[in-house]
Amino acid sequence: MYGYEIVQAIRRRSDAAIAVGEGVVYPVLHALEHDGALRSRRKTVNGRSRVYYSITPRGSRRFADLSNAWTNLATAIQKMLTGGQYAKEGVR
Amino acid sequence: MPKKVFDELRERLLQAGVAPRHVQRYLTELADHLTDTRAEEERAGRSRADAESVALSRLGSVDRLAQAMIDQRQFKSWCARAPWAMFDVAPLLLAGAYFLACMYLRCGWTIFQPGADSPFGAPVGPMYGFGNIYFQAGKLYYSSAPILVGWAIGFIAARQRLKAVWPTVALLLIAWMGATAQIHAGRTAVPRGLGHISMSFFGPGPSPHAVFGELMYAAVIFSFTVLPYLIWRLQRALSA
Repeated sequence: MYGYEIVQAIRRRSDAAIAVGEGVVYPVLHALEHDGALRSRRKTVNGRSRVYYSITPRGSRRFADLSNAWTNLATAIQKMLTGGQYAKEGVR
Repeated sequence: MPKKVFDELRERLLQAGVAPRHVQRYLTELADHLTDTRAEEERAGRSRADAESVALSRLGSVDRLAQAMIDQRQFKSWCARAPWAMFDVAPLLLAGAYFLACMYLRCGWTIFQPGADSPFGAPVGPMYGFGNIYFQAGKLYYSSAPILVGWAIGFIAARQRLKAVWPTVALLLIAWMGATAQIHAGRTAVPRGLGHISMSFFGPGPSPHAVFGELMYAAVIFSFTVLPYLIWRLQRALSA
């Protein structure tokens, strides 16, 4: 995917809930590439030369770790918000 | 409109110390992104001017775009991180250029003046054609080396929008080094007649007259090396 496609995907998947200045995604992509989580390749498609990004094995591992951490955190917050066992028992 | 935005962004990033190659890549990708977004807005029925305006606002303000890149500290250039180190070791560049000059001289000495005690003395036997051109080209390279190195430093400083103090210090060092550089060559000075070439730098001349000559020569080198950088700074000051 190239930068514009990535931004479109973020908008689509988040139902436009995540709406930042679209250009700020590039420093993040460059930083991820610098860290070895992404690799980039310039390709010409339909006469347009663009930088395409793909995830590396290291990036996949990092993504899995972050995804797990986020899921755990989100679950914990959800439990706190809904009250967990205390919601069923009622707070006395 | 986009050109103005991108020019402003380029200046902000370079002045903040972001390496020029990262700035260039960022701007190229932003320009590509802007083209795609504008096309998307035009497909949605907007006029070209409206589409461009919306695309620019979707891209983000110059402040936010600049800050997003400046926050990534790994993209800062070495010249911005440690200008004192980059520019105060500039004489090493000149030393490297002089080393090549010595190698060149050594080859010419061996090929064209094999019987001479020194390549600087009167030639042993006639020297015509290619030999003459060879030594004249060597002289030209030797004389122009400090100026070429100085121009390279000025170019780097201009490209990275560095403060004037560091390139100025580097150019002064180079001018003094170039003015005081001396090559010594002799065959009889070493056993078995292999020949010996050495250089000395920074040492003041043996007499006040020699020191004055070196100062004049350093001033000439400094003037030549600083001139393009000075013109560039003046142009920027006038266009600002």
